[in-house]
Amino acid sequence: MAEFNPTILAFCCNWCSYAGADLAGVGRLQMPPNIHVIRVMCSASVKPEYVLKAISGGVDGVLVLGCHIGDCHYMTGNHRTAKRMPLVQKVLKEVGIDERRLRLDWVSASEGEKFQKVVTEFVGEIKNLGPNPMREVKW
Amino acid sequence: MPKKVVVIGGGIAGIQASLDLADMGYEVHLVEKTPSIGGRMAQLDKTFPTNDCSMCILSPKMIMCAGHENVTLHTYSEVEEVSGQFPHLKVRIKEKARFVNINKCTGCGDCIAKCPVKVPDEFEQKLSNRKAIYLPFPQAVPRKVTIDAETCTMIKSGKCGVCKKVCQAGAIEYDQKDKLTEINASAIVVATGFDLMDASALPQYGYGSCKDVVASLQFERILSASGPTGGHLVRPSDGSTPKRLAFVQCVGSRDEKMHKYCSSVCCMYATKESILAREHVPDIETTIFYMDMRAVGKGFQEFVQRAEKNYGVRYVRSRPAKVQSARGDKGVLVTYETRGLAGEQVTEEFDLVVLCPALLPSKGSKALAKLLGLELDEDDFLKAKDMRHPVDSTRKGVLVCGFASAPMDIPDSVAQASGVAARVAELLQGGG
Amino acid sequence: MPRIGVFVCHCGHNIAATVNVEKVIEFAKGLPDVVVAEHSLYSCSEEGLGSIRKSIEKNKLDRVVVAACTPRTHEPLFRKACEMAGVNKYLFEFVNIREHCSWIHTKEPDPATEKAKKLIAMGVAKAGLLEPQKEAESNVIPTAVVIGGGLTGLTAAASLVAQGIDTHLVEMSGKLGGVLGEIEIIGPEFSRSKELLDELVNDLKASSNAKIHLDTRVTAVSGFIGNFEVTIETKGKSEKIPAGAIILATGATELAPTGEYGYGSIPGVITQLELERRLAKGDVPKRAVFIQCVGSRQPGREYCSRVCCNASLKNALRIVEAEPNSSVSIIHRDIMSYGTASERLYKEASDKGVVFLRYGLERPANVTQKQKGLVVEVYDETIDENIDIDTDLVVLATPMVSREDARDVAKLLKVPLDKYGFFLEAHVKLRPVEFATDGVFICGSARWPSSVSECMGQGLAAAAKASIPIRKGKVVVEAITCWADADKCAACGSCVIACPYEAIEIVEEEGRRYAKVNETLCKGCGTCVASCPNDAMQQRGFTSRQLSSMIDALIKNAMEET
Repeated sequence: MAEFNPTILAFCCNWCSYAGADLAGVGRLQMPPNIHVIRVMCSASVKPEYVLKAISGGVDGVLVLGCHIGDCHYMTGNHRTAKRMPLVQKVLKEVGIDERRLRLDWVSASEGEKFQKVVTEFVGEIKNLGPNPMREVKW
Repeated sequence: MPKKVVVIGGGIAGIQASLDLADMGYEVHLVEKTPSIGGRMAQLDKTFPTNDCSMCILSPKMIMCAGHENVTLHTYSEVEEVSGQFPHLKVRIKEKARFVNINKCTGCGDCIAKCPVKVPDEFEQKLSNRKAIYLPFPQAVPRKVTIDAETCTMIKSGKCGVCKKVCQAGAIEYDQKDKLTEINASAIVVATGFDLMDASALPQYGYGSCKDVVASLQFERILSASGPTGGHLVRPSDGSTPKRLAFVQCVGSRDEKMHKYCSSVCCMYATKESILAREHVPDIETTIFYMDMRAVGKGFQEFVQRAEKNYGVRYVRSRPAKVQSARGDKGVLVTYETRGLAGEQVTEEFDLVVLCPALLPSKGSKALAKLLGLELDEDDFLKAKDMRHPVDSTRKGVLVCGFASAPMDIPDSVAQASGVAARVAELLQGGG
Repeated sequence: MPRIGVFVCHCGHNIAATVNVEKVIEFAKGLPDVVVAEHSLYSCSEEGLGSIRKSIEKNKLDRVVVAACTPRTHEPLFRKACEMAGVNKYLFEFVNIREHCSWIHTKEPDPATEKAKKLIAMGVAKAGLLEPQKEAESNVIPTAVVIGGGLTGLTAAASLVAQGIDTHLVEMSGKLGGVLGEIEIIGPEFSRSKELLDELVNDLKASSNAKIHLDTRVTAVSGFIGNFEVTIETKGKSEKIPAGAIILATGATELAPTGEYGYGSIPGVITQLELERRLAKGDVPKRAVFIQCVGSRQPGREYCSRVCCNASLKNALRIVEAEPNSSVSIIHRDIMSYGTASERLYKEASDKGVVFLRYGLERPANVTQKQKGLVVEVYDETIDENIDIDTDLVVLATPMVSREDARDVAKLLKVPLDKYGFFLEAHVKLRPVEFATDGVFICGSARWPSSVSECMGQGLAAAAKASIPIRKGKVVVEAITCWADADKCAACGSCVIACPYEAIEIVEEEGRRYAKVNETLCKGCGTCVASCPNDAMQQRGFTSRQLSSMIDALIKNAMEET
């Protein structure tokens, strides 16, 4: 049986988490190759629809990474992200998708190691959860 | 023809002055002695009182500065001579040979990986090593490597040459010479910042003799995620995690025999470092030995109170008499007197002690002042012209900002730097 | 149909050692709308950029995708290359296959190569939907308004006019000088404040660029950076000033004690400013006790007012100089003589016989009136003893507090205050004289109690910042701003509330109500986008269609694998 190789989408904000991911790269911090980053200016611009679209299309996990609370480049953006993502998790749960397939975390531009840690942990978790059941759905 | 301004010093003050002057339409030449701009702020982990990640807020400004169409960076360079009178100053800049063609170097780092020479890293305050060919820190601007002539085997004795073999961009040039550039400048800005006093000048504080006594900037590097210990708070002697930490304020500051003045920022940064220490080691206990707790800025008093109430920092008003090794190489003993008439001498043991030494105008600023004909005050800081002109030096056309003029924190340095830009504009508009 | 060119960089070994660039190129060629896929050793080099430009011309490309390092360093470089070859710089997409791929999967070259392919597929999908953009520009009225005619406002205004900028200085009272006008001698040089203030005022009056309005209040402010309208009122008469930038320098006031230490009931208990007035008249006490931190550094007002210790040191020295047999004490909780000159003042005061006693917050001093004079009883912490000091005057060093009208000013200008009523700057470390609202600047004690040289430095800084848009004559905004599709917009107002910069308002045009974004104020964060329930709000360069296409590309290429 082939080992399950998750496909994970990550939204990273330009000022903090994207830069943190860059720093992880500069530091050659190794991590599993399952994450694909979409750069946005602020985590607050990540629409619930994107998460739902990704999951319903078969993406096994979605990671939304923003600046630490208090550090948002646009002042209050991440406050909204902090409120929004748990609601999206609720929606996932309602439709029978394990809400752990969506993870929200905060990574600053200097936290290369944290980025590595979050990515490695999340990939491990998704591997444990198994493939996204939506993969089986034929539209 | 846009008028040219030479800014000497690429720390936060020099960067801010350059950005404002460039935005105002002047052609800025930013001269920085080390291979990258960024200065002291690049070495800090976090900044008080918000505990913002220092590099995160500095890096965009560094990139903006380098990318600004009106700014030319002269890194690894120094001002050699200045002649003429305002507004016709001739500034001769010497760019030291890096032995690397910066137009070809892409900062990929292949050469660093292969270089066989290791030397103490100045950026990491000698807590770890770098190679003879190096980038001062990962976010360096410009992202170009430099060969340190004093330690490179090839430059010194003609042997090795590994970096050249490995460089696919063909950027290594062992025969590179120092380069001289002359700028016809209308004004000069001095923003040369500060150095830490070498605390071994006061042997009673154990710096240099005691392994577990470090200077504050070394502690910043230990705390930094990108620092020599990967952000793990460990002590130098045995790499163990300290549980008892102490700070000694005013080492060489407010000192009749050393430096009489107050370095202004140490009370705050010691408090900050204590808070960060707790975040790294949840059961660490920190003591700060101080004279007056100078928390005078916005949010500063609350910061100190938080440190005391929420982070268990113990503030002891006392100036330790002696700091020495506890057991051979490990641990530190601090001897101080307790308060009041019934005060007595107490010795406490700590796992790690951080000294907050006097912050001095940076090395070379005195020579620069001489070169430029600027007056210094009694503490060797650059003197302001008069009350009406707080950011003018004593020479017309030469402005000063940041720590070079007086001990001050980041916001005050940034404000002064913008202030300098206004003064340049006034002077070049025909004002006095 | 877009014509996309994909350029994959080796970055020496950095990408090529892990990612199989040739396989990636082959893959890219097969992607929708890709006309050509090339590679180079170092795309960012002169050679690399040149070859991209050549390829754009040769292959008539109208979209460019570069797969290399992080956009955070070289995006401007490649955008410029596109422009030079005639492609709008917003038709460029950067794919990170170094920091986010080759460098973090060095031991897994095959998976890294597959990942690089997917990332490029995502980038190509987005590039196909990119639209050319024109950066929004708005003009700037070349006039500045400075509100507040104290030291800081005078400094800012004097700098602006010396720079040749038309400036209106608006002062509420009948004279210029503010609080400093009440202080005769200023430390640490013991110079005369009148000389400094007169010089500033004369510089202003001598300039044809300056217009001074006394007895004048600001009653309304509308507009945005470059295009403000400031309404002022002088003795009933109203005037509207069009302005490009506004500087706030309204200062602060001395806290009036409310009975502490017998203030108001015991004669001889006065404030620092009251002492200043007495000393100016030559009324020097023989004995004085200064009490520091009266009303500050305590529950309810935690902050240290920064300037009071130095003021007491200066005045203590003035008394000692004027009255050789005087006896002066300063009772304090810390002496905040930070820096160089102030620390010297502390030492000088101590050398000249000023007595320093340290007290604690839990045991404040007590002032009682005797038959002749006053007595201050204080518990001296240093020696653990109660001390009685006979004195003629007790000077209460109270903190600077925000003005009562600070709240009104904040509302007028739509700028924030901190919990103490001091104006809140955009960023406490790196943007000390700016507000988050563009075009409005803050300096002096209205922001935080500041010394004379600090106020002046900040006034100059605000003048520099205000001059920038005025010099440029226009404000240009990066084209990643947001806009609402009026057909989809329900004018619900969620975006208006969400925007941290108050850049959106609901307008009515041609009978239709919708959300309109002020492009000059929009910072391109996209917070409004996610708050829009109708998919009406979009962000240029990050539209829902563009990001959705990236997700589709990922799904397509990932699912095809398994």
